[in-house]
Amino acid sequence: MSSASKNAPTFQEVIMRLQEFWASQGCVILQPYDNEVGAGTNAPATTLRALGPDTWRTAYVQGCRRPTDGRYGENPNRLQFYYQFQVLIKPSPDDIQEAYLASLRAIGINTDEHDVRFVEDDWESPTLGAWGLGWEVWIDGMEVTQFTYFQQVGGFECSPVPVEIAYGLERLTMFVQGVDSVYDIVWAKGPDGVTFTYGDVYLENEREYSAYNFEVADTAFLFQEFADREAECLKTLEAGLPLPAYDSVLKCCHTFNLLDARGVISATERMGYILRVRTLAKACCESYMEHVVGLPGAAERKEGTR
Amino acid sequence: MSNVRTLAFEIGTEEIPAFDLKNATEKLPQIMASALTDARIAFGGMEVFSTPRRMAVVVRGVEEETAQVDETFKGPSVAIAFDEAGAPTKAAIGFARGKGVAVESLEVREEGGAEYVFASRRIESARTIGLLPEVLRGVIEAIPWPKSMRWASYPEVFSRPVRWLVALFGDEVVPLSFAGAVAGRHTEGHRVLSPAGTDIARADEYEAAVRQLKIVPAQDERRALIEEAVRAMEADLGEGFTAVLPEKTLTEVVNLSEAPTPLLASFAEEFLAVPEEIIVDAMLMHQRYFPLYRDGKLANRFIIVSNGDDRFADNIIDGNQRVVAARLYDAKFFYEEDLKRPLEAYVDRLDEVVFQEKLGTMRQKTSRVCRLAERLCLDAALEAEEAGKVARAARLAKADLVTNAVIEFTSVQGIMGSYYAEAAGEDAEVAAAIADHYRPRFAGDDIPSGIVGRMLALADKVDTICGLFAIGQLPTGSSDPFALRRAALGVISILQSGLDVSLDGAIQDALRIYQEDGVPFDASDAHASIKDFFVTRMKVMLKEDGCSVDAIDAVLAAGVWEPVVVEARVRALDVARTDALEAFADLSVAYARANNLRDADAGSLYDPALFNDSEAALARSIEAARTEVAEALAGDDYPAALAALAALRAPIDGFFEATMIMDEDLALRANRMKLLNAFVEVFANVADFGLLSSKRS
Repeated sequence: MSSASKNAPTFQEVIMRLQEFWASQGCVILQPYDNEVGAGTNAPATTLRALGPDTWRTAYVQGCRRPTDGRYGENPNRLQFYYQFQVLIKPSPDDIQEAYLASLRAIGINTDEHDVRFVEDDWESPTLGAWGLGWEVWIDGMEVTQFTYFQQVGGFECSPVPVEIAYGLERLTMFVQGVDSVYDIVWAKGPDGVTFTYGDVYLENEREYSAYNFEVADTAFLFQEFADREAECLKTLEAGLPLPAYDSVLKCCHTFNLLDARGVISATERMGYILRVRTLAKACCESYMEHVVGLPGAAERKEGTR
Repeated sequence: MSNVRTLAFEIGTEEIPAFDLKNATEKLPQIMASALTDARIAFGGMEVFSTPRRMAVVVRGVEEETAQVDETFKGPSVAIAFDEAGAPTKAAIGFARGKGVAVESLEVREEGGAEYVFASRRIESARTIGLLPEVLRGVIEAIPWPKSMRWASYPEVFSRPVRWLVALFGDEVVPLSFAGAVAGRHTEGHRVLSPAGTDIARADEYEAAVRQLKIVPAQDERRALIEEAVRAMEADLGEGFTAVLPEKTLTEVVNLSEAPTPLLASFAEEFLAVPEEIIVDAMLMHQRYFPLYRDGKLANRFIIVSNGDDRFADNIIDGNQRVVAARLYDAKFFYEEDLKRPLEAYVDRLDEVVFQEKLGTMRQKTSRVCRLAERLCLDAALEAEEAGKVARAARLAKADLVTNAVIEFTSVQGIMGSYYAEAAGEDAEVAAAIADHYRPRFAGDDIPSGIVGRMLALADKVDTICGLFAIGQLPTGSSDPFALRRAALGVISILQSGLDVSLDGAIQDALRIYQEDGVPFDASDAHASIKDFFVTRMKVMLKEDGCSVDAIDAVLAAGVWEPVVVEARVRALDVARTDALEAFADLSVAYARANNLRDADAGSLYDPALFNDSEAALARSIEAARTEVAEALAGDDYPAALAALAALRAPIDGFFEATMIMDEDLALRANRMKLLNAFVEVFANVADFGLLSSKRS
């Protein structure tokens, strides 16, 4: 076990220090988006705000749901619900790598005493029509962060270019605290020594949701929900409201993920569902460009230039 | 000649991807040389440096001034350059503009007895320092990247953001900027070992300054350093220990550090119960570690290459060991879970894995491969026992794709299936075939070792190629996602190993099976394009093997394309030609002449009554050769067929010498045409001699 554990920050201290650090860099500290997302990237504060010419800086914790990753609380490294700390800054600052390394020091990682690497990792989300170049960041061989310069979102060139930094909070805290199971992470510790671990907070959650995701969720209801949300999204877009429309995209994504976990989407249907979500997501980005960024006829213009 | 100085140019970046950096570093000297040459700047030698965060060139002996150059260009003749009134024509004006001189300055000079206009211009000497900003910017822009990006609000693109530039000409800074980075004399240091960086006084001192920062500035040097340290570790560990350093991983590791330190680490011995391929996959593919073997078996040791400060090696080793332990814990868990059911139990779940959208799932592929393999076994007249093993292996071949271990560690597909098959009590040859059927996996890889694996690999690859061609998903220059080219080369190699199977038959069977399964496509189009594809691959393969191109073309033109037959014939033809160089050269000339003269529509039923002596002799030889060629080909004796053709050389030469083909007597002429047709037809099934180049070097 690493000697790092003694004065290591708790899980909530890691979060608070990251918030404080990125606040000091001028970021808007948002609270988690109140809709199911598979990654911090999918929250509208990243996906939609990455578009357009305006300066934008934000940092937020985001709970992420990946139903198929559930392991009933029995695997020390895998969760169906976990937390990311998401940073998005547009335009990307010139000293962003230095700032990122400083954020690691802020949570108690002495970067001089470890091997921190930026290892090539290109990001692509066909569902969002998005891609970017960057790295996964390793500390002593452990991947703790995704670091990406967005080049395109929703089929639109990002100009200026935003940089996204997504920390895996559990991984990072496991490293800082020197523990080998996510459930052993110290979440909070009172002055009287009373301690709450990640297991105290979330183990039951993992057990119940794994059972729900894999065994219980009503598939007929979910299929209907997907169709209803798709229709709702299109109707909302017709009203020129990309933000609420995007909520329906997120609902569709999550519903699809649940159906996937239930094992009721055959391989051939799979591609069809992904395409339907992609169509909606791109339509929301186009609508956002038109109604929020202010490019009238963004959709047609985009087709013309491709 | 002016004075010379050293030029040092460093592009400081965020971490460049390892392979892209390697390629760019190799191209950098050429890029710098052309940029200087294009600007007419003379220079001496150069050295190139690179780390993940910097690419640099130091050029020695760069002239401080470019030489003055006088150039003269010859233009149109006076008659064309001036009209009757003596005014310059459009031609003269265009010429002058093209050379950047005023039309009035064109001079008239005589050359070879005629008068032409000439343009002269002088390129003045220029100070190099003034030219360098544009030259160096051009260098940055000329570096090729497979993928490049923009950052912040800058319009420039590069592999990753450019953060600083060092540009020194002697002790002078070259004024230059790129995407917000302004050139100066400051270079950044190693992130941990020398974070303050340093100022460089003069270009000559660049390399020493970077080394002072504890940076190892060249790829080759970092590679040598790593290899040497690894050898020392092997020696320390004692007898029997060897580390495996695959080229790909080594290249990555070399370009993932500015100051590499190899460190020895270990994992708990209990994990050695997991198949070593999974452990190695986790180490090499995911973590870029080097595994250690003891007497050929994986040991619980591995080598990390750190970019950190070796005073904190213990921290770094501890952290890496914990990562490996977590991964191996997962691997062991997956492996043990997978073993709880026999491999057979996974076959049905192949429904969940798509092979290709239009071609269905892996379950459907399995069913097709089973049917095709059965056909191929019949064709090859395999014993019932072996055919049974092929059938069993075909059923189980893809089952491991839905096991936990393969979902997590994709590179061990096949290998895990083989372990699971053995654990489930399957026959050893069946298990080996499952592991082997992906072979050859890369250029130079072995083909499957046994007949069962070869038959299975053949069926699997032919099914893949035929399916994708049937739906029009042909590989393109840049994209071959199903690795069809490699699959085709694999098929050819396997056939060449001595399987008595017809490729054409296999393709027709595979296409028929797709049709049985209701995939809509045009079978004759698909067959034609698959045939072309194989023929092209075969040409490439034989050429790389040293066969001559014209021999390959000549053999293919005779209409055969079974790879084994084509190869045997091309080799026989090359040998025959080498042995009887002159005879074959003459024969191909005669063949080409006959082929050009003849009238293919005239038929070949000549009338011997009209023959002169040379015609009669040729006709006799043709008759003899026809019989011999037919017998030789029936007996697969291609060299004998070539020998029979070679015997035609003297009679055809004699015929051309003694006989005037275009005789005034039309009956004679027509008869000779028929004789020529008979001559050409003897060659038809052997090779198109018209394609053989008559000169062999």
